[in-house]
Amino acid sequence: MFTQFNKIISLSFRDYTHEWRMSGCFVLALASVLAPMMILFGLKFGIVSSMINGLIENPANREIRAVGSGRYDDAWFERFRARKDVAFVIPKTRALAATIQLKSPNASRIFSTEMLATAEHDPLLVNVASKPQGYYQIVLSESIADKLKVHKGERVDGSLVRQFRGKRERVHIDLQVVDIVPVSVISRKMVFVSLDLILATESFKDGRAVTALGWSGDAEKSTMREFPSFRLYARSISDVENLVKDLQQQGINVKANISEIKTVQSIDHNLSIIFWIIACVGAVGFSFSLGASLWANVDRKRRELSILRLVGFHGGKIILFPVLQSMYTGFLGWLLAVLMYLLAEQSINQLLAPSLDIDQVICYLLPQHFFWALALTMFVAATAAILGGIRASRIEPSDGLREI
Amino acid sequence: MPVIYSLKNVVKSRVVEDAGFRLRVPSIEIKAQENVALVGHSGCGKSTLLDMLALALHPDSADEFKLTPIDDKSQDIARLWQKKKQNQLAKIRRQHIGYVLQQGGLLPYLTVRENIELPRKLMNMPEDDSTRSIARVMGIHRQLDKLPGLLSAGERQRVAFTRALSHRPSILLADEPTASLDPITARKIMAVVMELVKGLKITMITASHDWAHVYKMDLRSLHQEAEVVENGNVYQSTFRD
Ligand SMILES: Nc1ncnc2c1ncn2[C@@H]1O[C@H](COP(=O)(O)OP(=O)(O)OP(=O)(O)O)[C@@H](O)[C@H]1O
Ligand SMILES: [Mg+2]
Repeated sequence: MFTQFNKIISLSFRDYTHEWRMSGCFVLALASVLAPMMILFGLKFGIVSSMINGLIENPANREIRAVGSGRYDDAWFERFRARKDVAFVIPKTRALAATIQLKSPNASRIFSTEMLATAEHDPLLVNVASKPQGYYQIVLSESIADKLKVHKGERVDGSLVRQFRGKRERVHIDLQVVDIVPVSVISRKMVFVSLDLILATESFKDGRAVTALGWSGDAEKSTMREFPSFRLYARSISDVENLVKDLQQQGINVKANISEIKTVQSIDHNLSIIFWIIACVGAVGFSFSLGASLWANVDRKRRELSILRLVGFHGGKIILFPVLQSMYTGFLGWLLAVLMYLLAEQSINQLLAPSLDIDQVICYLLPQHFFWALALTMFVAATAAILGGIRASRIEPSDGLREI
Repeated sequence: MPVIYSLKNVVKSRVVEDAGFRLRVPSIEIKAQENVALVGHSGCGKSTLLDMLALALHPDSADEFKLTPIDDKSQDIARLWQKKKQNQLAKIRRQHIGYVLQQGGLLPYLTVRENIELPRKLMNMPEDDSTRSIARVMGIHRQLDKLPGLLSAGERQRVAFTRALSHRPSILLADEPTASLDPITARKIMAVVMELVKGLKITMITASHDWAHVYKMDLRSLHQEAEVVENGNVYQSTFRD
């Protein structure tokens, strides 16, 4: 009957607020078990995950290096670029042809620096907003930028030297530093350039003309280009082994950080297992402590439930009484736990962030994690109360009334 | 007058280790608008019998346990208990029975007024000032907005009485309703109740061991006798017409 239903809702609420001290204790007890669990998970999803991801995503671990030189044409690069397990692949020219002298107005010395071709999706340049385009843009590694004393947006002079028809020739090119890669990504002195510039450099050193840059020489070659080497990154560390195998089958001698990868993978695996064990133990412990206290509460309420039955409430509606009260406790306890968690999250992030010197947050949870915590709490609360309530509704009204 | 309660060979045993208690009712018939008293010494089973009459306690066995409320069909209570028809029993309780417990029975989190009106609300009865007028004759009209915890024991008893009458039941069961009242108030309250019961055509069954003080007019008391049986292990109490 609808009246009974409404009445039970209001009665359970009245009782809950009447006993606010008791209710408060239940809420507090729930929150103090739930909040530490949420903080633990916050740390797992924050610092631990980002550290593990850092290891997993680390380009150095995903790189596959060619040993010696080979002949790779455009078709070969196309084929590898299309592979799902390849994140990035770009040609490399001969080391000698890929050297450029850099000079800045701020520093007296000239630095001979190795060039690397780059393009969109280069794992070494993920955090670099602007990639070098065309002939006149470059990205410097932090170590060379420091030596040259240049900053983002400033200009440096690049120069190339060749022996051409018995004469020593030097050309200059005015380059703009569009960005700088932090030393945490690459420690060597390095300049990232577009493939165009590196090809122009190679042509120049080989004694050919580059009309686009006004460099003279023998006629430009228009045959199929071939490169002696490549820079290749797997999509993830778990793809490396397979890729290495494939490359070796094609007769290409390659090297990769296989042992490092194995270590990272086992750390990731073991940490995941540890977290799942803690999570399961925590969830089970939480369920039992919440369930036990709510179950005991139903027992405490036996007399009042008996009175309700004597007045004429149906058994089924009576069960609703402790169930609703458990729901109130569950929801309020969850709310309090979330507040406690958010407070802890703020403090942890503010206290530890400066000392750890990383840009990720240390402790955080996604909205769905809060939802899952609520769902688990409500489920356990309702189950415990239903079980206790069924028992309470089974006893005869007179038995509950006799209690002193 | 039609028969309201009809009990034949109803037995209820309560055995805790060696101390056994058995209540026997060979035959009782209570007619509409009768005013019955259960008289007997403490521990003789008055509350136990009232609980059964209030459908709050199941009999161990019964050849017959019928309740025929006025203007309603006869209910085989023994069968309802057997079939565990708790909801149907609750419905009969709600509609026809008002029960004043020996002690307590009020919900501590509701005000006196809400306690009194709870049975009415459950039956969707409209609000009227009958509650107030009963409360006034019971002398608790000044306490209506208090919580029961703040009342004296006698006041609580009177609130329980008022609640038992609020939804106009045809049967009123009262377990020592005047036990915690002084003799003068007790007499006054009982006089008021008797009047209400007569006016509302209610069948009343009261339990008491302190019978000398209570109204004697019109009451039919059931005979109660006790014996010790089964090598002194079981205290057997028998109620009969
Ligand atoms: N739940 C129970 N379990 C075991 N024994 C019980 C139970 N309830 C009552 N008894 C026993 O049944 C007997 C009758 O109890 P009951 O409460 O009916 O007596 P009473 O006549 O109402 O006494 P009083 O006048 O003191 O209220 C007592 O001996 C009591 O000990
Ligand atoms: Mg008694």
